[in-house]
Amino acid sequence: MAHPTQLGFQDAASPVMEELLHFHDHALMIVFLISTLVLYIIVAMVSTKLTNKYILDSQEIEIVWTVLPAVILVLIALPSLRILYLMDEINDPHLTIKAMGHQWYWSYEYTDYEDLGFDLYMIPTQDLPPGQFRLLETDHRMVVPMESPIRVLISAEDVLHSWAVPSLGIKLDGVPGRLNQTAFIASRPGVFYGQCSEICGANHSFMPIVVEAVPLEHFEHWSSLMLEDA
Amino acid sequence: MKEESDKRKGMKFLGILDIQNTPCARESILNGAGGSVVAGLVHFLATSRVKRSFDVGVAGFMLSTLGSWLYCRYDNAKLRVQQKVIQDGIKNKVIYEGTTLDPTRKTRGDA
Repeated sequence: MAHPTQLGFQDAASPVMEELLHFHDHALMIVFLISTLVLYIIVAMVSTKLTNKYILDSQEIEIVWTVLPAVILVLIALPSLRILYLMDEINDPHLTIKAMGHQWYWSYEYTDYEDLGFDLYMIPTQDLPPGQFRLLETDHRMVVPMESPIRVLISAEDVLHSWAVPSLGIKLDGVPGRLNQTAFIASRPGVFYGQCSEICGANHSFMPIVVEAVPLEHFEHWSSLMLEDA
Repeated sequence: MKEESDKRKGMKFLGILDIQNTPCARESILNGAGGSVVAGLVHFLATSRVKRSFDVGVAGFMLSTLGSWLYCRYDNAKLRVQQKVIQDGIKNKVIYEGTTLDPTRKTRGDA
């Protein structure tokens, strides 16, 4: 999860998010180089003694500042498109989970094998045990097996919502009457937090998402317990 | 905890590029600085034009940094792919060793 005063991304918990972090580093390096160049040009312009107002036929500089931006855009676009198509790949998921947005909670359905469904309500601040995270903890968690491709189908029952988990690199709108599909692989065990990312009413800020990635045997044990409780 | 917070602070060039925590960034900037000094110096020794040599030095910095960055990131990406292949191979070996699905198992003609 995010730590206080954090500005950058959270640590990646899925291969797609790792790729996004690498692409971000690449784009940032290009931005840094452009910024350095612009800063140098500003200093050079301010400190020059040349005051010729009638500069004509500057062919060389025109070519440079046409070709160079094109090259830079290609250097950014190629890895960007690669990741864009990578994010759309759904390779034989082991599990499909339906995430439905409501005002103001998320519900999850695991219907591949048995009929398992439950709601996730945020734990109010006054009921939080010491050490737990304010506005992020929920009464249940969406438990998934780690290192397995998981498909998530996202929709909504009433108004627009958005299912987002930054450390998995996922953000997808929940639209009433529409199924949006995404997939992820949790590379490591852990608890990953997210929050609703589309304004949906008074308690939009109070319907968090909690994904817990566990080894497969723990997932099987958890699902058996949930089915017994249901 | 202190080590983690030190790691997270890092040093940010122009306030945006975290040199310490971004893979290949430090090497690229150092190579860029070296390329810049070499390019500027060579141009000055050849032409004795100070201002233009500074311009050439900055251009040298851009090109050296970018070239070093692209080369290092490409190597890094290849390494990550190899690491993933090795990881998957170790995991599959642990899971399938000794079973009929073990690809290294020699099949017997009379099986």
